[in-house]
Amino acid sequence: MDQAGIDRAVVMTYTELPAVNPRALEYLADQIAQYPHRLIGYVRVHPWYPEALDLLDRAFDEFQMKGVKLHPVGNLAHPASEVTLRVIRRAAAHRAPVLFHCGDEALTTPLQIAQAAEAVPEAHIILGHMGGYFHVDEAIEVAARYPNIYLETSAMPYPNQIRHAVDTVGAQRVLFASDGPGCLPRLEVHKVRLAGLSTGQEERVFATNILELLGAVKARV
Amino acid sequence: MTVDVITFLGQSLFGYGQSADELLARLDSVDVERAVICPIKPRAYHLSAANDLVGDAAARQTRFIPLARVDPNLEDDAVRELERAVGTLGARGLFLHPWEETFRVSDPRLDPLLTRCLDLHVPVIVATCYPWVSEAAQVGELARRFPSVPIVMTHGGQINISGLGQADAFAVLQRHPNVHIDTSGVYRQDFLEDVATQLGPERLLFGSNSPRMDIRLEVQRVRWLTVDDASRELVLGGNARRVLRLDSNARPS
Repeated sequence: MDQAGIDRAVVMTYTELPAVNPRALEYLADQIAQYPHRLIGYVRVHPWYPEALDLLDRAFDEFQMKGVKLHPVGNLAHPASEVTLRVIRRAAAHRAPVLFHCGDEALTTPLQIAQAAEAVPEAHIILGHMGGYFHVDEAIEVAARYPNIYLETSAMPYPNQIRHAVDTVGAQRVLFASDGPGCLPRLEVHKVRLAGLSTGQEERVFATNILELLGAVKARV
Repeated sequence: MTVDVITFLGQSLFGYGQSADELLARLDSVDVERAVICPIKPRAYHLSAANDLVGDAAARQTRFIPLARVDPNLEDDAVRELERAVGTLGARGLFLHPWEETFRVSDPRLDPLLTRCLDLHVPVIVATCYPWVSEAAQVGELARRFPSVPIVMTHGGQINISGLGQADAFAVLQRHPNVHIDTSGVYRQDFLEDVATQLGPERLLFGSNSPRMDIRLEVQRVRWLTVDDASRELVLGGNARRVLRLDSNARPS
C-alpha cells in the first residue's frame, strides 16, 4: 500500500466462513486492529451454511465488517440461487455492499450475477475484476442496465475498458481495487492512471465512491 | 535490448487493428526496440494475405520480427504456407491461434506442421488458455510430442482471473523444458516471479499482445517484477533473442 500510495484498503480472507476457516473473523479483526485507520474488513461467507446469516450479523455488529465477499467458484452457489440471495438480502439490510468475484468461469459471469442484482435491487453489487478477461464488455452492459451494479477494476488487463466503463455508467459506479498481494498494487494504480480519466473521475474511482458506500453501512439491522 | 514477443499487425475480422506506424509509435512510447509481429485474422479469412502483410512490414522495418500464421485445418496446405512464409517472407516462427482458427492444439493432425518447424528450426507461439482448444495441459501435450521445438504459451499459459489455471501452467513448464510463457495480461505478478525463481528466468518472455492489450501496462508489469536485474534483462529481451534465434544471420533452413 505504501509503495503504491494507497491510504486505506478493504481486506478479506482467501477462505470462507465457516467451512475452511472458522476463526476468519477473529483473525481479520486482529489484523485490522493493528491498523484501524487503514484497513477495512469484508466478511467472506459460504452461502450454503445455515448459520451464514447469523455470521453476517456478527461480522457487522461485533467485528465492524463493512461488506460481504462472495466467490461462487469456491462454494458452487449460483449468484441468483436462494441461498445466495438470502445473504445478499441480509447484506442489503445492513446497507453493506456485496463483492462478487466476476470473471470468466461458470457461476461468476456478469449475466449470472446480474440476476442477483435484479432480484435484490436495494443491494449494492460489485463485480470484482469487472468480468475478467473475456466478459468485460458484458460487465459494462449489465452495469448500464442495473443501477445497483458497480464495476471493480482489479486484475483485468484493459485500461481502455476502465475509461469505457466510466463513459458508459459514470465514474460514480467504478471502483479501484488492487487484488493485492497477488497483483501488484502499484501496477493496478498505474493501470487506472492509463485510462485517461479526469482528475474528478479519478478521485471518485480511487476513493470517493467506496467511502460513500461504506459510510452508509449499519452495524445492526 | 527490449523485445516484445507478441504484437499484431493488420485489420482483424474481430474489429481491432494496428498499422506499422501505430505499433512503432507505441514501441517508442515505452522504449521497446523490437517487436515480433503476428498476422491478424483478416476479414477475408485468408491467412496468406496476412502473412504477406507482416512479411512486407518486416522487409521495410528491421525492428519487426515476423511470424507465420497458418490454419492447421488445411493440413498439407498449412505446411506449404509455413514453408512459404519462412522461406520467402522471412518468418522466424509459427503462430497458432486455436480459438480463432478452431482446432485443438493437442490434435495429432498438427504433427506434420510441428515436424516442419523442427526441420526449419523455428519456434511455435500458441495463443494459450482458450477453453477446450488451448488449455495449458493441451499445449503440454504438444510439447511432449515435440520436445525439441521451442514453444511459447501466451498469457502465461493461464489467463484465468480466479488463478485456477496457474497449477496447470506451472506443471507444464516444470515438465517440459521446451515450453516458455509470455507475460501479457498475466494474473498474477507473483506467478511470474515464481516461474522466474523456481523454474528459471529463461522461461519468461516479455509480450504485450498489442493492440488488444496495452503495451504501457504490459511493459511495466515486467519492469516492476521482483527479480534480479539479470533475470529482468533476460525476460525483457535476452530470452527472445535465444528462442527466436535473432543473433543468427542465417535464415531458418
